[in-house]
This record gives sequence, structure tokens and C-alpha cells, in this order.
Amino acid sequence: MQETIRQMRNHKKIKDVTNVLKSFEELMPAYNKALPVIQKEDNGVTPRFFLRALAELEDFVNELWELGNEYRKNSMSKNNAKSLATLRQKLKKALKEFEVDLQKFRDTADLEDEEPEQTKAETESESEDEEIEVAAVKEPKAKVKPAKLEDEDSESDYWPSESDSEDSISSEEDETKYINIREKFLKKNTQEEEERKKREKKEKKDKEKEKKRLKQQEEAHEELEGQGDWEVVRGGVPMPIKPKMFDKNAEITVESVLKKLNEIVSARGKKGTNKAEMVDMLQELLEIAEANNLGPGVSVKVRLSLVAAIFDYSTKVSDAMKVEHWDKLLVTVDQLIKMLDKHDDITLNEQITEENEQFGSSPYKIRGCILTVVERLDAEFIKILKDLDCHSNEYVIRLSDENRVIKLIDEVTSYVEKQHEKSADICRAYILKMDHIYYKIDMKALDETTKEPTSLNTMDRLCKFICGKDNTDRLRQRAVLYQIYHLSLHNRWFAARNLMLMSHLQETIQHSDPPTQILYNRTMVQLGMCAFRYGSIKDAHNALLDIQSGGRAKELLAQGLLMTRQMDRTQEQEKLEKQRQVPFHMQINLELLECVYLVSAMLIEIPYMAAHESDARRRMISKSFHHQLKMSERQAVIGPPESMREHVVAAAKAMRNGNWEACRNYLINDKMNTKVWSLFKQGDVRPTLVRKIQEETMRTYLFTFSKVYDSFSVQRLSQMFQLELRDVHSIVSKMIIREELMASLDEPTQSVVMHRTEPSRLQSYSLQLADRLLSLVENNERIPEIKQGGRIPMQQGYRDRPYQRREDGKGGAWPGRGDRERTRRGVYAE
Amino acid sequence: MPGEVNEEGMSLLPSKYDLTNAISPNLDRHLIIPLLEFLSHKQIYNEDEVLQAKLDLLNSTNMMDFAMEIFTTLNGEERIPEEMQIKREDLLRKLRDLQEESEPILRVLGDPEVARQIQNSRDPFLLLEDLTEKHGLPRDTPAMLYNFAKFQYECGLYQGSSEYLYYYRFLVSPEDKNYLSSIWGKLASEILMQNWDAALEELIRLKEYIDNLSTFQSPLNALQERTWFIHWSLFVYFNHPKGRDLLVETFLHQPQYLNAIQTTCPHILRYLTTAVIMNKSNRRTVLKDLVRVIQQESYAYKDPITEFIEHLYANFDFDAAQKKLRECREVILHDFFLVALLDDFIENARLMIFETFCRIHECISIKMLAEKLNMSISDAEKWIVNLIRAARLDAKIDSRLGHVVMGAQALSPYQQMIEKTKSLALRSQKLVSDIERKATGGRGGESQPWAQEF
Repeated sequence: MQETIRQMRNHKKIKDVTNVLKSFEELMPAYNKALPVIQKEDNGVTPRFFLRALAELEDFVNELWELGNEYRKNSMSKNNAKSLATLRQKLKKALKEFEVDLQKFRDTADLEDEEPEQTKAETESESEDEEIEVAAVKEPKAKVKPAKLEDEDSESDYWPSESDSEDSISSEEDETKYINIREKFLKKNTQEEEERKKREKKEKKDKEKEKKRLKQQEEAHEELEGQGDWEVVRGGVPMPIKPKMFDKNAEITVESVLKKLNEIVSARGKKGTNKAEMVDMLQELLEIAEANNLGPGVSVKVRLSLVAAIFDYSTKVSDAMKVEHWDKLLVTVDQLIKMLDKHDDITLNEQITEENEQFGSSPYKIRGCILTVVERLDAEFIKILKDLDCHSNEYVIRLSDENRVIKLIDEVTSYVEKQHEKSADICRAYILKMDHIYYKIDMKALDETTKEPTSLNTMDRLCKFICGKDNTDRLRQRAVLYQIYHLSLHNRWFAARNLMLMSHLQETIQHSDPPTQILYNRTMVQLGMCAFRYGSIKDAHNALLDIQSGGRAKELLAQGLLMTRQMDRTQEQEKLEKQRQVPFHMQINLELLECVYLVSAMLIEIPYMAAHESDARRRMISKSFHHQLKMSERQAVIGPPESMREHVVAAAKAMRNGNWEACRNYLINDKMNTKVWSLFKQGDVRPTLVRKIQEETMRTYLFTFSKVYDSFSVQRLSQMFQLELRDVHSIVSKMIIREELMASLDEPTQSVVMHRTEPSRLQSYSLQLADRLLSLVENNERIPEIKQGGRIPMQQGYRDRPYQRREDGKGGAWPGRGDRERTRRGVYAE
Repeated sequence: MPGEVNEEGMSLLPSKYDLTNAISPNLDRHLIIPLLEFLSHKQIYNEDEVLQAKLDLLNSTNMMDFAMEIFTTLNGEERIPEEMQIKREDLLRKLRDLQEESEPILRVLGDPEVARQIQNSRDPFLLLEDLTEKHGLPRDTPAMLYNFAKFQYECGLYQGSSEYLYYYRFLVSPEDKNYLSSIWGKLASEILMQNWDAALEELIRLKEYIDNLSTFQSPLNALQERTWFIHWSLFVYFNHPKGRDLLVETFLHQPQYLNAIQTTCPHILRYLTTAVIMNKSNRRTVLKDLVRVIQQESYAYKDPITEFIEHLYANFDFDAAQKKLRECREVILHDFFLVALLDDFIENARLMIFETFCRIHECISIKMLAEKLNMSISDAEKWIVNLIRAARLDAKIDSRLGHVVMGAQALSPYQQMIEKTKSLALRSQKLVSDIERKATGGRGGESQPWAQEF
């Protein structure tokens, strides 16, 4: 319990209300649990520390509450504000129980020094917090240590938010107090951690200082005070004094530089190593080495260490690198690659052991792997992008670095190719390259007749190489997916589809790692959109169904987390998911995706609904489309459509009535053009779409009104739907052959003659009965087959029939569905 | 043994749909020769070029006499090059040597006693053991036989080759590394000798072998074998009376082969389509699959024959289908495999158009029909009358208006009901009797009360 109180207090300091609330919620049951014990030992007197915690909490909450709405809005995240309200409510309730005790406690607050565990006697209520802190920490000393270690993880999470809220700490808050407590904390920490904390603190310090300066209400003396305290803290740790590189007259040789390098590098990861200094020192060493012409071997080695040091700089996996480091990194890696490229006599290999390295003379042998460095750099680049606000200018600026990254990758690829290294390495380099090409449209490649080399050719070459040479399934899968994505992006529908079918990825994808599954989902979406542009509506629908049907497109494409589900995942999971997110410039427009899906669903579903109006067992083809329809039907008044969805629904309704022009106008207008259709950079889909609308509306019209008419004139149909006679003829013929439409053509008069075959009510029921009887007989016939030689069950009664029938109908009609379902589940399972 | 690419000349208009180029890479050199002969006969390519191609082809075989003959035709009176003569001498010598070597073997194997033993034997190892002991055959008899057969084949002596391979097969087990080649070789020999029955037998054997062989290093390898198989089998399927049914069965209904066609050689669709059109018995069921495949592959391959089907069954565009039918004629006339089937094909295709037409119309004017079927009006009328009389068409001719009126084809709900329930009683009864039989055989008449439910 005390542990919880202590945590709660910590959170309070940083105004992390959410966590305070959490702790409070933990605290109350804990207290109730402890109640019997308390009653036995303390004669029912509520323990003081508990009361104190409550009192503080109350003060804290009230204080925050009183600060007013505006403050809350500005300085608190939504979450925090919400938690605050909840906390206030809960606290009020809880306090009622302890009202008397609490009052007593407040009265006797001055008598605190009587507390046995108190070490210092201080009566000032202002410093109370601190004292209690000491008490709470000291008493369960043994307990605290492991707890602290556990904290380590979560702490790295808290830091960013901490620094955010820290600048919002009002001037009333006592800065000194805070620091004192920190100091005490630090003393309890294990050595290693201590060292780490310092580091982090120091980083933070700079930031904080800056922010502080910006803050007007921050009083000058406080700042000074704060700084002074920081100084003290710093002094507590042994800092590596920046050593002088070399004596002035010392001879600088390969050996001496290497020795120095070793010295610096061996400090890596040890306590008290200052990372910034390490980078600086390496930089300096590099300059010295260059200045003294020590040969490429040494400078390569030093550069490698420098790169490693920069990578080491940020300790947390999830955090992005700072801009200045990023720039330095780019430059260094660039130089590194250029150097390797220039000097053929340098062998850079991971197989070379440290002892076998040779720097002094050609041929140089150095341990290391440039490919890994570039891979890491690429990952770091993505991280930086994800860290930025995607709508800001900074994002664009950073994104322009991609050219440099691509150049680096190209260079490293040609280097690896030149080295004739293992094909596995070349595959890795190629994948990196593909990763930067696959999602971009090459305008040249859209023209299928072009003879110029386009990105398609590049992708094709890379993909073929990887498929041929790669031994790990993962790279091959990714390469194929990249290739399919790229093909679909450039309207190569058949090639993309065939590749997807031939790779059999659908069957194996659920065994892959989540990033590959995400890539698969992205690819399926692109494939579906490509099918849509090509005019193959059914394929488009099938490809998009899996992604779109659960309403989790955002999550499946890794383009954002779903807020509602936040409760079911732990923090680690969330962190992982955040890492997997696709950076903004690679994202697929979700509205476009949804619109394409809904329109395809509409084109399939509306004629189907019209054809099976009286069918007893009609199935839904697209659930989410039906959902949209239902939503709009539920509304009392339907205004003119506003959103994309409303447009599609309105179009669907027009289609139902056989009004193709209205349907077209709902789907294709200025609003929809800007929202959706002009997002297709690969060419205009609208003509294909209009054509599809005409055809499907005519089908719907024929289905819906075939009951009313005895015959249609083909001529008239062609006029109504602005289709050519030939096409009308072809569509009607198709419907007749498929027995969708009970009619036949009368050639001399050019008309469609309906056969009146719509069964009466009684007839249709008896037909259904016959269907069921048939399935019963089939089932019965199957039973002996299943129970070969076994006893035949007697209870195969009438009662089962309707259910069986339904099952049959479901299983038979959509053979592919089960498979897809499975695939999707596989994709979800992460 | 399958051969290599050979270069074909320029493309003139009739050659637009010529598939020799696409097919020959998947055939053996010897099998290409008939194709080339056909081409020079049809004269759609420059004669000299075809001859040159043939010469190039023969130069890499051992058929020197043939090669020299062509050389003379091609180059007129020019002297036959020295090296050809030398090669010929060499080959003759080698042939003689091999013949001498294999003589004793053949003598032994030719013995009727041994022949019977060979026929009855099961285990090739035991047989070989036995023969070595009793008749003093050398241990490497199979290898010798194989080599000699191969040599003979290359010289164009298919009869001998086929014979040797026949013996060879009895002496080795299917695991032998040359076993597959021996089947290919035998198949080629039979094809070139035009023994279609034997060739079909070989073909079936080969197919079994390919399908069962799980020892292929990779799916790619299996795909290659199948592609060859598909091409080679065309010779047999289009020359054997039962061949076309088998072709449909193999190419369309066995997924591995259909996949092979779709991935490596979509041009085979022409032959598949033709076979389906010629297949009278169960065309309708097959057509659905075929149309699907054709539509799927339409971006990769199309020719008038596949387009004909596409227009007729996917777009129901009769005019276009008619036009394509006329083009089909040209294509078939210039296709080595199909040329013999021209009339049959046209008749069947016409019938297909008519059938489909009738299915969606209830009244057709004869004039229009005649146009669609590419016939004169009186011919068309005669044709329809014949169809009606042969009870293949439920229709009447209204000669005053010049219409054909289809018989009522709509199924009333009443009829539907009867259709659906007709078989129920019979099926249930059969089930009951089955159960009864089982029950009396096993446990006694337990199932009686249940059976009465019906």
C-alpha cells in the first residue's frame, strides 16, 4: 500500500493524473483488504500514512480543479483531463468514509514529528511532502530496490510526457522539493541505473532550460536555484574528464590512433560514459587521423566506430534520433561508402576477427558490415519521420532527405554487387532498395508502350534476383509483395494478379511476421484498387473485403491505432504497434479505399438484391455496405448527401430505382472528385465507372420491373441506359443464359419477352419445401457413408432440416469465403 | 531429349496466327521436321528460309543424308561441304561399330524363349541377373541398348530405336536415371513412325511417370516436363481417334496441366478450344470451364478460335462470333495439327452458334439466321429442318413469315416442383433398402421404424 501511495505521489508531482487515478484505484481495494488487520492491530484506527495520502490527494485534486478550465485544456492531455474528473468523483466518495478520521488527521497534522519512523523533525507543512517521501522510501528499503528496477521500463515511457508537463508546472510548485526528492531517489538506485539517470537528466536539462527561459512566469531566482541543484547532482557522479587527444609532440602513428580509438570505444556502455563526448572525441580523432594521412584503413575504422557511437546515442529503441545527429550520420556514412568504393583493397567483413584486422597497409582488413549500417540508417530515417507531425513543414524537409538515403542505398548496393559477396547480402541490399521504390508511382511507367527503362523494370530485376537467390522465406515474400504492389500501382492488373496467385502467398501469409502481414494487407488493397481501375469490380471487391469488412482498415494497414481498443492491450503491445506504423508519406488514403470498396459493393449488391428480392435465403455479399444502407434508412429525414458514404448510399438508392443518371451524378460530382476520384493519379476511372453503372443499373431495372412488363423493347432499353444495342443484347442474353431472367428474345421485333414464371406464394413455399426435402435426402444418404459400418442414428428427424439447409446454402455458394476468413484471422493474429 | 529453339523467318499475314515459333522450342528436333515440312508445303514463309531452318536443325542431328539433300535444294549445284561428308562417314562407322557391339545382345533378346521370359518377368534386376548368367549378356547391356537406341534415333532410324528402347525398359527399373528419357525417346519414335496406338500407350505411361515422380528437384522442373508433355502429346491427341476427348480430359480437368498451360504456354489454348468444340458429348459442362480459362488468359493469348468462343459464350455477340469463325478457317488451314479437322470444326462451330441462339431466342427469322450461319437462306432452312427432324431442336418453322419459333422452354413452377421431387421417392427407397440389407447382414431389422417416416 505504501508503495502505491509513493507512486501516486510521484505521479502527482508530474501531474500525470491518469496514473494518479490508477494508483488511487489500486489503493482503495488494498485498504479494504487490509482493513481486518488494521482493526486487529491498531484498534480500528485508520493508519496515519493512509490518511495523509488521502488528504494530500484531496488537496492536489482541488488545486488542479480550481485552476480552472482553461489551464486544464492547455496543459493537460485529454486523457489526463478525463482522469482528473473521474478521480475527483471517486475521491469524493471515498472521502466520505474517512471524513472523521481525516478531520482528525488534519488537526493533528502539526504533531507529525511524533511519528516513530520520522527521522527529521520538521513541522512545516510545506515540507511535509518531502519528509513523507523519505519515510515511505526508507521504511521498506528492501522493497524499494526491486520496485525501482521494475520502474526502469516504464520510466522511459514517462520521460517524454514528464518533460512536457514539467514546463507547465506552475510557479507555485516547489522546484527544490522536486529535486531533493529526485536526489534521494537516486541514492537508492543501483549504480548502473544511477549512471543512466544522470545521463537522461543531463539531456533533459538542456531542453528544460530552454523551455524555462521561454516561460514568463518562471522567476529568475528559481531558475538559478534549480540550476544550482542540478550542479550538485552532477557533481555526485564521476564524470569522464575530456582527455586531451595526444600530446603535442607525440608522434601520431597508426598504432597510436588505434590505441586511442580502443580507449574511447572501450568506454562504450560503461558507466559514466558521456555519449556526446564520445561522438565528439571520435570526430576529433578522425580529423587527426585524416590530417596525418594514416591511410584509408584507419579512417574507415574510425568512421565505423563513429557511426556506431551515433547510433548508440539514443538509448531507447522507440525514440527517434535528433536532427543534428542524423545529419552527421548521413555525412559520415556517405563518406564511408565513398571511401570503400574508392579503395578496392579494403575488405570489410564480419567474418574477420578483431585479431586479424589490418589497418596499416594494403590489403586492409576490417571487421564490420556496411550493409548493416545502412539498414540501421534506413530504419532510423523511418523512425524520425514517424516521430514528426505528418502535416508539418518539418516533415517535408526531413522527407527530402530520402533522396540522400536512396543514394546511399544505391551506392551500397553497387558496392555490394562489386564485391561479389554472398548473394544473401545482395538480396538484403536489394530489399532495401525495393523498400524505397515500391510505393512510388513512376509516371513514365504508366504508359505501357514506353520503351524507356522505368521503375517497373528495376523492380522486376530486383524481385527476380531475390526470388532466385534468396534462401530465407521472408525476403522472398517481401520482394514478391513489393513487386505486386508496384505492379498494381501502375495498372498492371494481370501481371499483379498472376504474381499474387502464383506466389500462393494467401495460404502462407498468416505464418509470417506482422510487418510482412501489414505489407500483405497494403498490397491487397493496392491490388483491389488496381482491379477497380481496370473495371474488374468483383475482384476489387474480393480483394478489399478482408481489409474493409471488420472496420479495422486503419489498424490492418498500420496507419494508426484504434483508440477504443486501447484497454485490451498492454503498454508493450502498444509500443510494438506504434513501431510498426507506416510513415505518413507511404500511407494509403483510407477514404479512397473505403469509397472504392463501397462502390464495388454497390455494383455487385444492388442487382443481386433486386434479383433475389423474394428469395427466402438471401445472403449479404457485403456487410458493411448493408450497414451503410441501413443507417441511412433509419434516419427520419434524409438531406442531400455530404460525406463520401452518404454519396454512395444515395447513388445506391438511385440505382435501385433504375435511375442511372442520378446514380452517376451522386458518385461523380465536384465534391466526390476532390474527395476521391482525383486521388487516382494513375488515370481516370470515371469513364469505366459510368459504364459499369449503366450496365448494372440496367440489370437492376430488368430484375425489378420484369414482373410488371410483358416485354421490353431492346431499342428502348438502349435509349434509357445510353448503351449500344449490341451491349444491351449481350447483357440480356447473358442474363437469360444464366437463368437469372426468365425471358427470351424475340428477334424479328427486337424485344425481350418475359415468361411469367414468378411462382405464387403457395408455389414458392412448396418449392422451398421441395428444396429442403431434397437436402434431407442428401443428408440421409451421406450418413451411412460417414458412419461406415457404424450404427445408424435413429434420431435423424424432421426437426433438423431447416438448419441443415441453411448450412448447405451458406457453404455452397461462396467457396472462397472460408479461406479468406481464415486468412484474415491470420492477419489479425499478431 | 527435347530440343532447342529454332529461329523462324519473317511474319507474313497468314503467319500471324502461326504457332510454330511458339511450339517448336518445346519439341524435339526430330519432331519439328514434320512441322517445317508442313510450313514449306503451305508456303506462308519464304521457302528458302524454311529450308535453311530445316538444314540448321538437321545439322545438329545425325541425319546427314537428309541434311545433304536439303543442302542441295537450297544451294543448287554447289558442292556439298567437306565436313558434312566427313561427318557422314564418321557416323556410318560409328553406327556399324555400335551395331556390331549390340549384335549378340539382340540375338539373345530376339530368341522367342527369352522374349517370353522378358514378358513375364517382374523384377528387372532378377531378369538381368538371369540373362547375364544364362546367356552371357554383358552387365552393361541396358546402357548399351540405351546408347544405341539414342544413336539410332538421332540418325532417324526410329524403328530400331523404338525396338531397343522396348527391351531396355524391361531391363532397368523405373529408378534408372535414363528411364524417363527412354520413355520420351520411345514416344518420339512412335510419333515419327505414326504408330498412334503405341504412341498413346507411351503417352499414358509418360504421364503416369511424370505425375508420380516426386523426385523432381523443384516444381519448376515438373512444370518444364509437363510443358514438354503437353506439346508432344498434341501429335498423338490430334491423330488418334480417341485423342481429343483425352486432350480435354487432361488439359482442362487436371489442374497441374491447366496450370502449366496458363503459366508457360497459353497458345495451347487454341488446341484445347478446338478439342472442346469438336467434343460433342459433354460440351456444355466443359464449356463453362473453358470460357473461364479463356477469359482469364485473354490478355496473354488470343487467336480467332479462342475469340470465337469468347464472343459466343461470354459476350453473346453473334456477329463478332461469326466474323471470327471465318477467320478460324484460315487459322485451321495453316495449322499442322488442326488442318485435317477443318470441316468438322466449321460444322460444330455453326451448331454451337445456333444452339446458343436458340437458347436465348424464342423467335428467329430464317434470313437472319442464314446470315449468322454463313449459309444461303434455303440451305439454312434445310439445315434447320434436318435438325428438327433429328429431334435435336424443339422448334417449328413458320414459313409464311419466314420465322423459326422455338418450343416453349419456360419451366412452370408446377413442373419445377415435379422435377425436384421426382427422384426423392426413388432415392429414399434405395436408401432404405441399402440400410435394410446392411442391417439384416449385421444386426437385424433395427432401422425399420425410421424408414417408415417417408
